[in-house]
Amino acid sequence: MPLQSKAFQRWLHGVAPDASTADVCRIAGIKRTTLAQQLVRGKVAESTLVSISRGFHVSPVEALSTFDLYSELRGAPVPPTGCELVSQIATIDLLRAVVDRSEPGSAPAGHLSEPPHPTSVRNWVDAIDDGELRHRVSDTTGIAPQNFSAHLTANRLPPELAIATSRAAGVGPAGGLVAGGLITEAEAGWPPNARQEALDKMSQSELVTLAGERLLALGKTLRRQEQDHERTERIWENLG
Amino acid sequence: MTAVLPWVTLVVCLAITIARIPSLIQGENRVVFYIFALITLDILLSIEGPYLAIDALLGGINVTNLILRFLLYGTFLLMGIKIAMGFGSQSAVRAIRGPWGLTVLGFTVALTIFFFVITDTRGSTVGMTGLTWGPSMEAYAALGRFYPGYVSACLLPAIWRTIVGRYPVLLRGASALLFVGLALLLISQLFPLIPLVHLWLRSLINYSAVLATAIGLAGIWFSKAYSRRKRRLSA
Repeated sequence: MPLQSKAFQRWLHGVAPDASTADVCRIAGIKRTTLAQQLVRGKVAESTLVSISRGFHVSPVEALSTFDLYSELRGAPVPPTGCELVSQIATIDLLRAVVDRSEPGSAPAGHLSEPPHPTSVRNWVDAIDDGELRHRVSDTTGIAPQNFSAHLTANRLPPELAIATSRAAGVGPAGGLVAGGLITEAEAGWPPNARQEALDKMSQSELVTLAGERLLALGKTLRRQEQDHERTERIWENLG
Repeated sequence: MTAVLPWVTLVVCLAITIARIPSLIQGENRVVFYIFALITLDILLSIEGPYLAIDALLGGINVTNLILRFLLYGTFLLMGIKIAMGFGSQSAVRAIRGPWGLTVLGFTVALTIFFFVITDTRGSTVGMTGLTWGPSMEAYAALGRFYPGYVSACLLPAIWRTIVGRYPVLLRGASALLFVGLALLLISQLFPLIPLVHLWLRSLINYSAVLATAIGLAGIWFSKAYSRRKRRLSA
């Protein structure tokens, strides 16, 4: 459930006491109608809060942490685990690393692209899953396992579910927010080179195995998309 | 309302048929044009004015109604094959175009002629509602509902899978309309259970079925055009 609009307005008054709604929207780069709608409904989306925080140079994590739902974000950031860091490396960057280790210097070693990548959410959950994680999350939040799965497939992670998942896995509360694309890794307090370092620490076999798993999953997704596409085209070919 | 509905259906079907003419000229999926043209013709022959005019030329013994039956069977054969192929149901293609399907069609045609011949059909009235309805007349009418119902039953499972599957939203919506139209034709098998005083209900179901089917088919075409256009604009 997104943020209560009353609490949100209290927070907004604290951040920008003199700014009009129009100013806030302009500075945050959000549509006025969007904010107005969310306020009328009584629920403000977390992404709105994050945009406004960025506009007013407030830490989004601190802003979120002022709400009870996100109180776990208070205090010093919990450092991410190695698995979490690696999970937020895009598959194509992993493949580059594989090539670079096999034939050093043959591939230009670029910067790792910023999360989220197209399978961030599923990779993050897989990385912190001890086998029982999904059960625990659905027990504590009441979300049906198939709905949780649907989120993973769609590469979506509602912030509240992200927090519940990290709590159930016993990792830092901000990781899921990074994987879900709500905040950047810097905003979550991840050290700038943390992902690269975690990648460098992986042995050749770990790296190749992980890249293989990612490719296998990617292949499945692509095959499904291609099948869907073929079926659609066949309908159109015959009846369009 | 039931007096307006046939004309509305005719106008809608005619409009879609005319809209298909450019594709016909370009040789793109001509069968779809023929399907819409046939549906339009079916509707035209179901409306009193045109029906009486044509039947008068053919001797006034309702031969036009027999022709209408054959046109309907042809419409459903063509439409059934195309939809079954489009929605990727091999079993439906076999059940309509395979030996079994053609046998069903053959028997339907033969029995339709048989019951027409043994019934006294003098006195031109649309839908033959003005005639005295004996058992042979009932059988003749039931056969006319049976074949469209048979084809619909073959197609519904595959269409349903498309509605609930991962497809573009417009395509799923159009498929849902098509599903409704064909499902109504299945429901129409129960017409003998509707008392004759509620004849309007029969015609409401019939024309709603045609409207939903025609708009559904046109919707599939529209969803294709829409997606192509979107792709062109984004390219």
